[in-house]
Amino acid sequence: MAYKHLGKDFLPHDVVAKVTGEAKYAEDFRVEGMVFARLLNSPYPHARVRKIDASEALKMPGVLGILTADDVKNPPAPEQALLTNEPVYVGDPVLLVAAESETLAQDAIEQIKIDWEPLPFHVDALQSLHPDRPNARSDGNVGAGGVEFQTLKWTKEDFAAAEPGKMPMGKAAQEWAFGDLEATFAKCKLVYDESFVHGSNSHHSMEPRSAMAYWQNGKCFLHVSSQSQSFIVPALAGMIGIPPTDLHVIAEFCGGGFGSKGGAYALQALPALMSKKIGRPVMMRISRAEEYFNGSARNGFQGRVKLGFGENGKLLAADLYIVQENGGYNSFPDFRNAADALSMVYQPEAMRWRGMPVHGNSIRRSAQRGPGYNQLVHIIEPLLDKAARELKVDRLAIRLLNAPETRSPVGPKRTPVSSCYLKDALSKGAAQFNWEERKKLSGQRTGSKVIGVGMGQAYHPAGFNGFDGLLRIAPDGKLFIHSGVGNLGTFSHSSTSRVAAEVLKMDWEDCVVIRGDSRKHLPWNIGQFGSNTNYTMTRTNFVAATDAVNKLKEIAAKQFGGSPEGYEIDGKRVFSKASPGTGMTYAQAAQRAMQLGGKFDGHELPEDINPMTKASATALAGTGLIGVAKDKLPLDGAIAAYAVGFVQIELDLETGKYRILDYVGVADCGTVIHPAGLETQIKSGAIQGFGVAGLERIVYDPQNGLPASVGFYQAKPPTYGDIARVMQVSGVDKPDPTGALGTKGIGEPLLGCAAASLLCAISDALGGHVFNRTPVMPDMILNHAAGRAPSHRPLQANCQ
Amino acid sequence: MSVSFVVNGEARTVEADADTPLLWVLREQLGLAGTKFGCGIGACGACTVHINGAATRACSVPVSALDGAQVTTIEGLAPVDAPHAVQAAWVAQQVPQCGYCQSGMIMAVSALLARNARPTDAQIDAELTNLCRCGTYERIRRAIHSLADAGVSHG
Amino acid sequence: MPKDMMPHFDLYQPDSLDAAVDLAARLGPDGWLLGAGQDSYDWFKNRTKRTPAVIELAGIAALKGVREHEGGLEIGALTTLTEIENDPLVQAKFQLLAQAAGRVASPQIRNAGTFGGNLCQDTRCWYYRYGVDCYRAGGNMCYADTPEGQNREHAIFGASRCVAVQPSDTANAVVALEGSMVIRSAKGERIVPASEFFVGPALNIKRMTVLEPGEILVAVRIPAKWAGATFYFEKVADRAVWDFALVSIAAAFRVDGERITESSLVCGAVECVPHRLKAVEAAIKGSPKNDETGERAGKLAVSGATPLNFNHFKIPLMENLVRRAIRGA
Repeated sequence: MAYKHLGKDFLPHDVVAKVTGEAKYAEDFRVEGMVFARLLNSPYPHARVRKIDASEALKMPGVLGILTADDVKNPPAPEQALLTNEPVYVGDPVLLVAAESETLAQDAIEQIKIDWEPLPFHVDALQSLHPDRPNARSDGNVGAGGVEFQTLKWTKEDFAAAEPGKMPMGKAAQEWAFGDLEATFAKCKLVYDESFVHGSNSHHSMEPRSAMAYWQNGKCFLHVSSQSQSFIVPALAGMIGIPPTDLHVIAEFCGGGFGSKGGAYALQALPALMSKKIGRPVMMRISRAEEYFNGSARNGFQGRVKLGFGENGKLLAADLYIVQENGGYNSFPDFRNAADALSMVYQPEAMRWRGMPVHGNSIRRSAQRGPGYNQLVHIIEPLLDKAARELKVDRLAIRLLNAPETRSPVGPKRTPVSSCYLKDALSKGAAQFNWEERKKLSGQRTGSKVIGVGMGQAYHPAGFNGFDGLLRIAPDGKLFIHSGVGNLGTFSHSSTSRVAAEVLKMDWEDCVVIRGDSRKHLPWNIGQFGSNTNYTMTRTNFVAATDAVNKLKEIAAKQFGGSPEGYEIDGKRVFSKASPGTGMTYAQAAQRAMQLGGKFDGHELPEDINPMTKASATALAGTGLIGVAKDKLPLDGAIAAYAVGFVQIELDLETGKYRILDYVGVADCGTVIHPAGLETQIKSGAIQGFGVAGLERIVYDPQNGLPASVGFYQAKPPTYGDIARVMQVSGVDKPDPTGALGTKGIGEPLLGCAAASLLCAISDALGGHVFNRTPVMPDMILNHAAGRAPSHRPLQANCQ
Repeated sequence: MSVSFVVNGEARTVEADADTPLLWVLREQLGLAGTKFGCGIGACGACTVHINGAATRACSVPVSALDGAQVTTIEGLAPVDAPHAVQAAWVAQQVPQCGYCQSGMIMAVSALLARNARPTDAQIDAELTNLCRCGTYERIRRAIHSLADAGVSHG
Repeated sequence: MPKDMMPHFDLYQPDSLDAAVDLAARLGPDGWLLGAGQDSYDWFKNRTKRTPAVIELAGIAALKGVREHEGGLEIGALTTLTEIENDPLVQAKFQLLAQAAGRVASPQIRNAGTFGGNLCQDTRCWYYRYGVDCYRAGGNMCYADTPEGQNREHAIFGASRCVAVQPSDTANAVVALEGSMVIRSAKGERIVPASEFFVGPALNIKRMTVLEPGEILVAVRIPAKWAGATFYFEKVADRAVWDFALVSIAAAFRVDGERITESSLVCGAVECVPHRLKAVEAAIKGSPKNDETGERAGKLAVSGATPLNFNHFKIPLMENLVRRAIRGA
């Protein structure tokens, strides 16, 4: 279908500010009287604060106050504490000091005496399940992502029962199954039983999560680094202890989040609480090391998977057990998402999943681009290649054989997906990459260098419903689209808003996107995470714009007679279908709406919209024609996005290093709404994938709980020289039948497919060896190539 | 101490502890917040500015080292109404994602192109070491090549 | 714990070497010598090391530049790494040093970072940088050399209580080229061979070089001996930039026809000092410069290595790099 806007490039309004230095991030704001606050982070992986003596610090001239756990209302465990008297990892914030200058605040912190009682700790989730090993928290050891917080240990017999190198499997905190697992494994031609480790890695957002707050007339003004705009307001207001209507969140720009700044987080609230206490505006700047301590990281997995294949390479049965390390606080259900991904991407006839989210005395874990869904394919895709080799099936063929289609089921409830064009993506990518020819290069050796080629697939849910759209046609005829989407850098705040212009048939030049500051009367939108924005907010803008179209027609019918159905719009005017000369401009209609009042100008609002949308629409009432609605469009099945990647590498067996020669990425994201944006996402997702597969790491010394990876050169996000120079992208561009105008999300699987493709290519270069471990670092390759044992023990996590 | 230097064409004198990194002088005292803090140890390049034409990490240069120096920040790279060729290419290719690293990135690229208007891929890899966590590297490469193809001179 | 919040110190900015030497003598251990601060600021900002006073050497013109010296070169300690990388004299005579300088950190760091600073930087042992009370920091244990220590980047040779490695890329080239260090203090000038300039923990566990308080590294002399020789430099690191070597090699060869008449090979990141391979040099003398010799030499190079839990990969890596250096690719 030909669209006026969708599928066409446009220049998002905030690009220019991002190249001139005008874009203002949280740390760039200054207000009169502003002072600085610094955190005191726990030096212990687990300890109790017996006593804090801040008397010397508070005597220092210019020191303005201290905020401790006793001053804040912490959420129930194991939610992240704002400040704590029982820190559960090195870096856990214990207190905050405010002073006239930052250096002074830091100097004051050095004068604070804390009486610590060190407590037992661990940094290996699996080992901590042993009955003789300590728990990370004194109030429980298991629970996250919807699993009840509890104490749950395995038995010594569970550990003894595991063969060497295999993961023990005691009682799980959660499990599900479908099909007859035993009977299906019995009919398999090839069965693997593999134990694996998926490393944890930081988000490495370039903007550390600094925040600044001040209070005026009882209202709190908060400048934060957030992926989301509207979505965080209620939770953040709760942390500060005020009604959402008293909190103004300014988050026009966000210097990267990748899942770590999706929801409200504790560090956003602290300057607000300090500001309230001392009566001064407070800036809390976060250093890089503090970002590594107090940001978050992807959940690491220790796991075991049994896979049963038929003779032709069809995956028939799968039995997956994942132990997830949550860090000290509540985390994301990666361990469960992974199971959904296995059931989706490979469509086994029978499957069991067991999950165990375990707290560890390490950095807080949260969602990171493709949480769980991606870790799963990083582990399974190389095993799929292993099966293909053993069964003598082409690696593309085995994927096409197993791939889902539209209406294929996902998860234990066997929910059908609304659309799936993974096979198209595989075929398109294979053609673009020239898989048939390239696969012949596999293992080709020149001196110490060997060629590896690989492909990877990934899946992620891609949309929600039930949020609100809000827009206004002003008396001058311009369209103001109010967006509660954040600014993560995908420009979807604008690309989804273009749906409103599409429905109203307006020129983009006549449209303004209003966003970035909750004072701007924004609707209730979901956060910018989970690959959902495209789907979810094209729907909200679709329903709000449709509401506006209906109102335009009703106003015209009132003015010129007849029924609204007798009228049409063209982007400038609403007019009679029978007599196109009879009609009025959008500007005139907006003016008429203001005279008519009621629902037309926002004085009467739908009952079902969120209170935030209601308040925003009420503030706009009387200023034009208001389009406002809750998304109640039908939802049929699970919404799913898919992506594939193809890669060729040249691996040097003498150095353990490889060069990524080129990469092809293809996305199944429904209707492509912003081609330039899609291209950026495919390429940048791939670059992050290369980092996850081969570089980024979280390292802890298990003897003292100290973290090694608290700087860029230790945590190792990829640089220019570490990525593919040549990258090609494309989209399948087949619409989803349930999305407004056929769009779906896409952000997350673009990382997973690239990481998986690289891991497969490394295995390919090494002649089929599979590490069952990420990241694959040069030392692992070197040891393998030299016939030496790896340095780490089987299933050892958070190590080098 | 008192240090005098030229920032974006304007003579400025600042009072600061001699060891204060230039970054904080720019951001806190001169109100030039376009230059960003990323790591504080010169690893990421978010704070890259030109000092006497060379791309330098402002977080690791003490202000005392700048007496008499010419400093250019992202705000001074070009007049607002006549963007620098690199900025124009960045807009045309829609390079930025989150944008946080781009001030430093653009300063690093403009310094590179002033020395070498047609860098090869290998030179780009070697010279541009600023981190972009969003992963805009490939777009940056394309934007640089687009400038070379258009024959833009950076003298 | 790293905080990025520099504490106060007194800053001295002498504009002549004599003034700097006077200051260094007067302040003694309290006078921290600063090149461009690429390493020092890391310590200060993280508050893991403090000093009452800093002597910034940047204003001393005499410490900068590359000069010809007795057929070789004398390079001022404050010369930037970029200047060394691009210097025509260095490129013409000692390509090895240009290459090593060109692999340090990143171009922006090299624009500011000085030769002397690169040579005198402290070790990158993450425990020590973190601020633990290890031997090197004056305590009584090594955190890295423990049953569960995370020591992937640590030493496989020459450990003595401390297992940290020398992080400098240029140090290996300077030792391979048999350079010497010109050191000034109130007592006058002394010349120390590069091979003796860097010290391991057995000699002094709290320092990486022989520099005493009050002493300033003013220049590095590279003798004519290896000018225009056949060189090989390679640094293997996890990332392409801003990363430290897992293992590196700097090598110089004199070849007569096919045969190696003399060589100088130094491995980096395997010991607390640049690790010169004298036994290898002796063994390959007179051998053809080819892969076979390289293979033999690689095996010899790693004999006696004592790996820790996580770094035995350095053995094959070092072996391979020696082999590549001799093979010539």
